[in-house]
Amino acid sequence: MEPLSSFFAVSIILLAVGLFGMTTKRSAIRILFSVELVYNAANLNIIAFSRLRNPPLITGQIIVLFSISLAAMEAAVGLAIIILAFRLNSDIDLRKLNKLKG
Amino acid sequence: MTDPAFLVIAAATVIGAILAIEARDLVYGAAALGITFLGVAGLFILLDATYVAAFQIAVYIGAVVVLILFTVMLVGPVKGEAPIEHRRTSLMTAILVSLMLGIGGSLVSSNAFPGVDACGASCDLQLLSQTLLLGSGSNGGYAIQLELLSFVLVAAVIGALTLAKTERKA
Repeated sequence: MEPLSSFFAVSIILLAVGLFGMTTKRSAIRILFSVELVYNAANLNIIAFSRLRNPPLITGQIIVLFSISLAAMEAAVGLAIIILAFRLNSDIDLRKLNKLKG
Repeated sequence: MTDPAFLVIAAATVIGAILAIEARDLVYGAAALGITFLGVAGLFILLDATYVAAFQIAVYIGAVVVLILFTVMLVGPVKGEAPIEHRRTSLMTAILVSLMLGIGGSLVSSNAFPGVDACGASCDLQLLSQTLLLGSGSNGGYAIQLELLSFVLVAAVIGALTLAKTERKA
């Protein structure tokens, strides 16, 4: 069994990559990718921490089940919004989506 | 001693994440994202959360990656996506992120979280019974909440359909 620190390391790398993509990319799909990466980092962290207790608790796994489902919903609605934005604007560059700007 | 399985899975996860963000073609990016999801599922298995790993594969690779691929095909190639638009913003972000990585890495390597397997075989039995509990009808005592979650999923799917629906000219 690997020490838990290694899993935290993978989690923090995923979080860093996700944050970098979220702040520097302009394509809406790319930003959605980054959000999914951050979700996965959080899930991995929760599962790893749920192993820290001895004997381990089941609650961490339940929370991650919730989180995965919520991420799926967020992806579905987000992609629908992206398709809508593309139809309205014929572009998904988020810096050019300023229709609501007064 | 580092587990070779962990090394392979962790490397695939991290490389997939970087490729998903940086790949020139969005389709390759989506494929790399799928590899990352698969890698995270493998890490769940290494952490003895097999039910969650199966859920992750079913939801992420079965639904989310397919949705993303369809959207990429519908939207088509992005026009003139500059790789780096605001150089100063990216530089500052890179510095911040590497600072975060450094602090997190030093915390992680300071051995504040030692290995967990102190209980050996009895621990394995407990973990197995956990998975059984999760998979059984009662879902570990959270059956009602999980049912409620499926209602929210239905609401999200209907909302997505409504958003993406084309207006039909009468």
